Amino acid sequence: MNTQAGNAAWRLDPPYGARALLIAIAALMLFLYTGQRVEMGRMAALTLDGALAAVGLKPQSQVTSGLGALAHSLFPLQVSYRTETSRIEGFDPDRLPWLARIETLQVSESRLNPHTLKMEDEVSTQTYLVEPLGYLWRVLVKMVETFEIAIWATLLAVLGSAPLAYCSARNYAPNRLLYVLARATVSLFRAMPELICALFLVLAYGFGPIAGVLALAIHSMGFLGKFYAEDIETADTGPQEALAAIGAGKPRVLAYAVLPQVLPKFTGYTLYILDRNVRMATVVGLVGAGGIGQELKGRYDMYQYAHVGTILVVIFITVFLLDQAAARLRRRLI
Amino acid sequence: MLRYESVGMRYADGTAALDSVSLRVPRGQFCVILGASGAGKSTLLRMANGLTAPTQGEVWVEGTRVQPSTLAALRPRVGMVHQHFNLVPRATVATNVLSGALPGLPAWRAYLLRFPAGLRERACRLVRDVGLQPEHLRRRVSELSGGQQQRVGIARAFMLAPALLLADEPVASLDPRISRDILALLRDQARERGATVLCSLHQVDLAREFADRIVALRQGEMVFDGPAGAFDEATAKALYAAGAAAARESGAAMPELPGAGWPSMLSAGGAR
Repeated sequence: MNTQAGNAAWRLDPPYGARALLIAIAALMLFLYTGQRVEMGRMAALTLDGALAAVGLKPQSQVTSGLGALAHSLFPLQVSYRTETSRIEGFDPDRLPWLARIETLQVSESRLNPHTLKMEDEVSTQTYLVEPLGYLWRVLVKMVETFEIAIWATLLAVLGSAPLAYCSARNYAPNRLLYVLARATVSLFRAMPELICALFLVLAYGFGPIAGVLALAIHSMGFLGKFYAEDIETADTGPQEALAAIGAGKPRVLAYAVLPQVLPKFTGYTLYILDRNVRMATVVGLVGAGGIGQELKGRYDMYQYAHVGTILVVIFITVFLLDQAAARLRRRLI
Repeated sequence: MLRYESVGMRYADGTAALDSVSLRVPRGQFCVILGASGAGKSTLLRMANGLTAPTQGEVWVEGTRVQPSTLAALRPRVGMVHQHFNLVPRATVATNVLSGALPGLPAWRAYLLRFPAGLRERACRLVRDVGLQPEHLRRRVSELSGGQQQRVGIARAFMLAPALLLADEPVASLDPRISRDILALLRDQARERGATVLCSLHQVDLAREFADRIVALRQGEMVFDGPAGAFDEATAKALYAAGAAAARESGAAMPELPGAGWPSMLSAGGAR
């Protein structure tokens, strides 16, 4: 035996060498270059300014004054809802909704009298129906609609991604053509951002929740299809071989030897997608695809920032609660 | 019953896993294939249900040649017990045993988990026969010990009343005392149901205790075939000594570290 060669083979090099260091330096340079292009330096300076102003070391800063103005316009939140009674069809002052009350306002308005051609103050009385929790209720109803959009999107995504996952798992695809097609579809779906997808679907299906559901479902289908397929591919082959050995067909092997193994992970992905769809459903409304986002966009465009504030707080609380619920459910299922 | 006709298995790089093995196993026999790791035991076994295709020769089971076109009809007649049990750990014992009856079940029953009453009764009986308790039925396989898991594996293998049972190192992951129990169970159950068993083992003592017949393989070649009683100490010594020598020979390409002690420490826990 050649001892020299033996020595050469029995050698452990350090895990990385000069080449890796060079690549790391090159990557760092690239980051510095792109960082400057996206104004990372200015971001750091402004943030520092804001921090200093917040602790009182600086008289003012752009960031804190901007945030202050925002908080000022968002709060106090709009909770009540006022409607002019003359705009309510068949309004009956004796049968008011729960907690509601009527307010009367004397409004004086300068108006040009067409006969005398003089400006005259005209006093008119306007009655309003005030519902103290009216707007909050309206937002909550919209939030429920958003939730429904998310649930249906998730449901459609799970149903649609099952055949996609089956065909795009290398070891289960019926044939090469279907495999390639399914993989391409999954990639395409995942590459379609929900917001842009919703934008086009609104053109096709009109304003409302249909576009929102479909946009979210398509994107989630791509995500779930890929992750389901990867889990199917990497599942323990032992039980699969055992069932294949006694002549069970591929779909049955999948159902009995793979599904039980991957079910906890599938549940995890699906819960994540549901969580994500609720958050995204609030956003796709911005382009008119239903839900709370549509309300948000409307109020924002009308500069009613107190209303926007209420919507944002409701969204925040919902997402927070959902996150907690999902985490709890996941712990119980896995 | 089971017939190998000058079966060979050669990999693309020319190394032979099996070299022209011919073997006839009559109905009802408990035949043990003995040999060191890499002798070709698994390969030979897996050819009987087509999990591995021979590169030469033919395998016949009950008068049917094992080939892709006959597999669908043949496989349900051939049960299999695996070294690592190959059960679904998260599924219950009942589901694992019932899954042994999957082929032949109508599709809607298979996917809606509606096994007919007859099969469910059969599963219960089998779970009892392999020595488990009723409370085990609804327990997850992952909660059972290794020996109990292999009992579940045996129950699953008998679900379709196979004519031939392949056992691929059924006790290699178990400790010696439990290995005895499991092999006894396997032999008794097979005898009771009239199933022929082809079982691979690497422990000579277990083979001599349980086998009707021993077939010894060394590096893909059949070096012994006879009743268990004829397989004496000297034969065993020759089988493993020669195997070890051959392994050293084939491992000669691997350079040895001059002097240092640790590589031998790495290999100490090795094959046998």
